Amino acid sequence: MKNSIEIKNLTKEYKELKAVDNLSLEVHEGEILGLLGPNGSGKSTTINCILSLLNFTKGSIKILNKEMNPNAYDIKKEIGVVFQEVAVFEELNVYDNIDYFCGLYIKNKKTRKQYIEDALSLVGLENYKKFYPKQLSGGLLRRLNIACGVAHKPKIIFLDEPTVAVDPQSRNNILDGIEKLRENGATIIYTTHYMEEVEIICDRVIILDKGKIIASGTTDELKLLAEIEEKVTVEVIDLGEKYIEEIKQMKHVDQVTYHNNNLLITYKKGKNNLLTLMDYLKLKKIKYNKIYSERPTLNDVFLYLTGKELRD
Amino acid sequence: MIVFKTYLKVLNKCKMPIILYTVILIFFAVFNMQTEDNQISFEQEKPDVLIINKDEEVGVTKNLMDYIKNNSNLIHIKETKDNINDALFYRDVNYIIYIPENYREDFLNKKNPIIEIKSTKDYQASLAEMMLDRYLKTANIYNQTSMSEEELIKSINNTLEKEVEIELTSKIDTENLENASFYFNFMNYCILAGTIYVICLVLSSFKSEMVNKRTIVSSMNYKKYNRYLLLSNGLFAFFAWLFYIAISFVLVGDIMFTSHGMIYILNSFIFNFCALTLAFLIGNILTNKDAMNGIINVIALGSSFLCGAFVPMEFLPKQVLNIAHILPSYWYIKTNELLKNIEVCNFENIKPLLLNMGVILCFSLIFIIITNIISNRKRKLG
Amino acid sequence: MFTHNFKYSIKILFKNKSLIFWTFAFPIILATFFNMAFSDIEKNEKLDIIDIAIIDNESFRENQIFKETFQELGNNKSKEQLFKIEYTNEEEARKLLESDKISGYLLLEEKPKVIVSKNGINQTILKYVVEEIETNSEMFQSVSERRINEKIQEEILKGKMDLDYNALSQEIIQETMKMLQNQKIQIKDISNPNLSYTMIEFYTLIAMTCLYGGILGMTSINKCLANMSHNGKRISISPVSKTKLILSSVLASYLVQLIGIVLLFLYTIFIIKVDYGNHLPQIILLTLLGSLAGLSLGVVTSTVVKKNENMKTGIILSITMLGCFLSGMMGITMKYIIDKNIPIINKINPANMITDGFYSLYYYGVQNRFYQNIISLILFSAILIGISIISLRRQKYDSI
Repeated sequence: MKNSIEIKNLTKEYKELKAVDNLSLEVHEGEILGLLGPNGSGKSTTINCILSLLNFTKGSIKILNKEMNPNAYDIKKEIGVVFQEVAVFEELNVYDNIDYFCGLYIKNKKTRKQYIEDALSLVGLENYKKFYPKQLSGGLLRRLNIACGVAHKPKIIFLDEPTVAVDPQSRNNILDGIEKLRENGATIIYTTHYMEEVEIICDRVIILDKGKIIASGTTDELKLLAEIEEKVTVEVIDLGEKYIEEIKQMKHVDQVTYHNNNLLITYKKGKNNLLTLMDYLKLKKIKYNKIYSERPTLNDVFLYLTGKELRD
Repeated sequence: MIVFKTYLKVLNKCKMPIILYTVILIFFAVFNMQTEDNQISFEQEKPDVLIINKDEEVGVTKNLMDYIKNNSNLIHIKETKDNINDALFYRDVNYIIYIPENYREDFLNKKNPIIEIKSTKDYQASLAEMMLDRYLKTANIYNQTSMSEEELIKSINNTLEKEVEIELTSKIDTENLENASFYFNFMNYCILAGTIYVICLVLSSFKSEMVNKRTIVSSMNYKKYNRYLLLSNGLFAFFAWLFYIAISFVLVGDIMFTSHGMIYILNSFIFNFCALTLAFLIGNILTNKDAMNGIINVIALGSSFLCGAFVPMEFLPKQVLNIAHILPSYWYIKTNELLKNIEVCNFENIKPLLLNMGVILCFSLIFIIITNIISNRKRKLG
Repeated sequence: MFTHNFKYSIKILFKNKSLIFWTFAFPIILATFFNMAFSDIEKNEKLDIIDIAIIDNESFRENQIFKETFQELGNNKSKEQLFKIEYTNEEEARKLLESDKISGYLLLEEKPKVIVSKNGINQTILKYVVEEIETNSEMFQSVSERRINEKIQEEILKGKMDLDYNALSQEIIQETMKMLQNQKIQIKDISNPNLSYTMIEFYTLIAMTCLYGGILGMTSINKCLANMSHNGKRISISPVSKTKLILSSVLASYLVQLIGIVLLFLYTIFIIKVDYGNHLPQIILLTLLGSLAGLSLGVVTSTVVKKNENMKTGIILSITMLGCFLSGMMGITMKYIIDKNIPIINKINPANMITDGFYSLYYYGVQNRFYQNIISLILFSAILIGISIISLRRQKYDSI
């Protein structure tokens, strides 16, 4: 498998703080790599270092097998970035904004025109060409932000939290767009702290905390790390201490919590956990309203690995 | 109370303009105020003259110089060509007299030597020219007789020393009133540029779309909320004005304690009120801070230039003053200007001043009405 | 790429309404105000015809010299007219004085007396004229007497004994009279022709516009710098050389700046008739360099100051306004005081380099002083641009 990006021992220190700590990673060609981590875990710093925007203390960065530096224009040509902040010109309308940024990559006017149209349809802004950023809603603005970053059809795309504060419709549109980009052969590095998104679209996930990689792999691989396989939630009123203790003794049970009339049971492994539990409840004549079983999420993985929640 | 508290917090963020305009006001006031003693006897006007003497300073040459010295303010500067020319251009001197080489000898030999001069051609220069003219004529006439140099000088001086009796009728404290008028005229700019700007800034924060929506949906009565806002702005405008008045007591001094001073204060209070209503009008029309900044600057500078806050009214062209009638500043400054020429403040004398203040109040009323119409329409449309 | 960025930089600048207002419209509005306020000042400073009154009593009517002289000075057909005279009684004159209709009045009894209500130039001139008339008649007497005596002594010395004293004195009196009237004194005016000091105000306005233009440059460069704006980050990762980007952005803002200045020039020259002297090539040179100074001020601010855009605008505005203030925008005396007492301040003040450049062109013509200003502007720009280049050479940042 070819690597689009190779990072070795990257360290970035601000005065006291190590924002990125001896980080090494590879991005394979054609994959969607998720960089997951809470705010301040070093995701954006890592990306800025890869893009040669930031000085770093130590390490090496290779993109498409070449050393990255600010003057490596042949590499830069193949990169597209969608930053966390909306970076468009208030003074230009949607079309001109895309044209300006695309024009920094594509000289040929005819090609550019086609590319802009493609970008517009990718994010679904075909009907807003003449709108100014101020006239766009938050979600549409984010879409424009993405269009500006990827209009030149780059081979490697960085998406830095492109869905922060976006309405569901725009979010779906954006995620669809990302899938389309991959279908067209792009390698995508996607940072976010929404693990649902990562689960939907990423082939591989890297979890960062305090500038270090604490886990990496496919979503399924990661979930194994959490050492739990099932989460069962039961809505039950006034459950006695005695029953909780008894449930804790059942097979495969890892943890039991009872809070606000919600009984949450995690199982390390095993099958038929739900059935066993329901049988038990029936036997003890405990009345319950709802009962459902879930697979663990990446949040559980993160919780397991760091002892804290992924979201603030 | 919460409205007022928040107001003060927002205000605190906008304190820079207030400080800036206060510094400007004090600076220009101090820079422009001449403090001379009150004159009761007539003092003749003295032009600023520079003498460049290439002759020896003896005899008739010295006498000519002495005469000019006595009748003008002699200016001393470094006598390089550029310095001299700059001094003339910037009106540091009104008149430059070049006394040629061998002036004394040529004069005594009745050669009638040429004296070169440079002149700004304003009235000060005209006065200097009259002076020089008179001296030279007198000297020439006596020179037609065969006098010794000493005798000649004595006769010239004798003739020129003659003074006519002059009586000064008015006893008003012109200098101090000039200063007071200058200060209050300049205050026009500070109120318009400073106070209005700050009020509009604060208003725009309160009226910004999101905050405004939030206020409308809050449990506080919207009308009550607006009243609080109005009151807060009014209080701010009042204290800003009070601050400027306090400074006037320091800078202008005694005259502020007389009935003249009272009228200056009353006039500025009314104008300040008018400015407040104008601020509400602007704050209601505009929400964009950039646009606000532009409009207020244009209004403040325009009113100040056209109505005589910077350049005294008497120097402004008639057409400009005619246009200026449509600005409240005109009536405010006009009152200050009239006031400085009034000797006794009785009702008869200050009647025109009160009329001017009435006009300013009319302007305020108009601003209030327009503001109401606009804000009503805005709420309905919104 | 160069033209692409150049084109869009111009478009972005022109679309920024508040920027265009402050750099294009504001100077023109200010010029209009200046023109309205200052257009009559210098005219008002010229000596006007002075309104006076004369008490028309017996002693005045009988005093030939006073009567005739004032008739001459009050003659509205004469070029020498100095006064507009109201002949009236004392009560009326006092009323006129109180209502400020006249500057003063003359009361001639045994001795002449001038009554005025305040100190002032008109009053001083009236006093002067009365004194002159008085002394002239005295002088006439003493000179004639003296000349008669001299003549007699002369004749006696010559040995002539049969003198017709009467005829002689008549002759000399006539002669003296003629002499007094035909007195030609020789005063030669050698002033420079261009003395209109209000022009300085307009020159400072040009200076202000040149330096304000720095804001255009600042905005234009900010958009290219990764550590200054989000757009800058996006632009920095594109495969375009930074030199090319910044150069084309700077050129674009320079062009926009020049358009603004040309508009101001056209307006001041054709609508409000400002006199820039007659040295067009030098004026163009000065304007180009003045704008360059403003541009370099903007560039250096945008690259060196690591603060938000508002802060940077504030810095440029403060430097500009302080500079203009010191070079005479709020009163030309300021410029003179600084030039005279602390010249070093105005030697390093870019606003003054521009103002003084125009001033020296207008007042002195093309001379050393003008070229000194030109050289100062070049140095100023070169230093600032040098500093900018040093701080721009960095392509990566320690923090963003």
